[in-house]
Amino acid sequence: MDIYHHLSSDFIAILITLKLAIVTCFFLALIGTPLAYFLAFKSKKTKPFIETMVTLPLVLPPTVIGFYLIIFFSPEAVLGKIFIILTGEQLIFSFYGLVLASIIYSLPFWVQPLQASFEKIGRDTIRTSYSLGAGPLDTFFNVIIPLCKRGFFTSLIISFAHTLGEFGIVLMVGGGIHGKTKVIAISIYDHVEQLSFSKAHILAGGMLILSFIILLILFYFNKRTVVRVK
Amino acid sequence: MSSLSVLLKGKIGNLFLNFEHHFKNNGITILYGPNGSGKTTIISALGGFINNLETKIFFNGNALHDIDKYPPNQRPFGIMFQNPILFEHLSVEENLDFVIKRNQLKTQNKNLISKEYLIYQLELNSLLKRLPENLSGGEKLRVVLARTILKQSNYLLLDEPMSDLDIKYKAKLLVFLKDFNKKFKIPILYITHSIEEISQIGDQIVLIKDGKKIDSGSVSNVLNRSSFVDLTGKFESSSILEGIVSRHDQKLHMTTLDLNGQKLIVPGLPGNLNDIVRVRIRSRDILLSSSRINTQITENELQGLISSIEIENDTAFSELVILLKNSKNNIKKQKLRVRITTYNLRNCKLLINNNVFIYISSVSIDRQAYQSK
Repeated sequence: MDIYHHLSSDFIAILITLKLAIVTCFFLALIGTPLAYFLAFKSKKTKPFIETMVTLPLVLPPTVIGFYLIIFFSPEAVLGKIFIILTGEQLIFSFYGLVLASIIYSLPFWVQPLQASFEKIGRDTIRTSYSLGAGPLDTFFNVIIPLCKRGFFTSLIISFAHTLGEFGIVLMVGGGIHGKTKVIAISIYDHVEQLSFSKAHILAGGMLILSFIILLILFYFNKRTVVRVK
Repeated sequence: MSSLSVLLKGKIGNLFLNFEHHFKNNGITILYGPNGSGKTTIISALGGFINNLETKIFFNGNALHDIDKYPPNQRPFGIMFQNPILFEHLSVEENLDFVIKRNQLKTQNKNLISKEYLIYQLELNSLLKRLPENLSGGEKLRVVLARTILKQSNYLLLDEPMSDLDIKYKAKLLVFLKDFNKKFKIPILYITHSIEEISQIGDQIVLIKDGKKIDSGSVSNVLNRSSFVDLTGKFESSSILEGIVSRHDQKLHMTTLDLNGQKLIVPGLPGNLNDIVRVRIRSRDILLSSSRINTQITENELQGLISSIEIENDTAFSELVILLKNSKNNIKKQKLRVRITTYNLRNCKLLINNNVFIYISSVSIDRQAYQSK
């Protein structure tokens, strides 16, 4: 990409990684929040099924998810075709392919803390709010969100940190194309493969410190929240 | 004036509900029944939180069971749930403002209950800035009650509101509720397990068991019926008597009631002169004697006639019904249930149609919660 051409390749990877994490968290908030709400309060019969779907990325090897995503993202598949029609670009090996893969991969990390947090405030709180004359949206924004601040905070931090650190899926779906889909984790892998340990040290150390700080912030401000994600 | 009729049918959990009642549009109606008999379900259904039952609810001519037209947030009830919840992220005052803000439109054309009135009556002033997590159970309850009332609704539904309260505050709150009900003419549906609460604030009572209504009527009638005794068990059996206030002793805080010509002295200063006051006397708190006891042992000595004796063969007890002597012959005689041991019954040689002297200590009399003026 043009705007990156004068920057070092590692710095570009850092920018892409951060951009990926931010965009992914944005979409996770839009998709994962209603899903967590649905799982906490609405669903009965479908709950185990949906919970299983959401949790699958936690237990599957990233290569398995990556493999199926490659198949779905390919220009021959329906999803890949639709994306080409809409944007004129291929989904596979593109940044938005990465975003989509990250959303799926990080979904349990957004949904589970938030769902636990919703369940903790419980149905009775919502009923109380309704009975006092607040409608569902009013209740969501003025009762549930403020009461679940910690849950949202936990989801955000964990999903962000988790997206920063993905490797397997990102490599398979994105292909590690410089300036496009090459993230920090892949850069480190490349450096190690080329035996340039000093460069790997900088990136790996940076990731270590960043992740440490992010988690420290989480646990410092969120002492009382139990993180359910493994 | 509001009118509320309810029909609920269907299975919920293990309970088969088949309940129908037309609730009075004034006073305080008690909903009484054993745990799991469906009381809370009725309140949930009124609130619009139950949709797997056949429901018919008419309130002032509106078909509230139409859940699309009347979703839970548009029902005209002020509901206090069994485990009352305050919004933990809001201070006490913000909790009160939450409901005020959302019900401003409808309060413009009716008798407004002011926030200040409730803050004063329920002693919330020192709590206003606090967060719910810093309140005691009793304080929380008062705030929730105030918040429920501030909805300015046409009917209050209170599900065991006093269960967590210490005795001293309970008495105060009962007086407040009774007074509030009279002053603002807002009917109250009140769930409770406590017979004290029933006799202190109830006007009407509906008995429910296994999802079905088994009796209903005025508290003074129903509490003397066998349907009520069946629910409470004999140990809790009691009688409701009504008397007219004939004298207040301001110094000793005692009130003399006229029970159709006989005197009954009760503690406290309920009602005003010539008001009718209801009292409850537990059957096991009464002593009987076939002849007059000539030393003063209690405040109260009444006379009556034994109209029935039921000896329980498998327990130590017998239950007697006594008709109180009545100097005004045109009025129905009041009934008193008495529970004594069969041993005592035999020793005192008490027989049907005997005249008896009845001794009741004023300490054991529950009186209605009335604001003394």
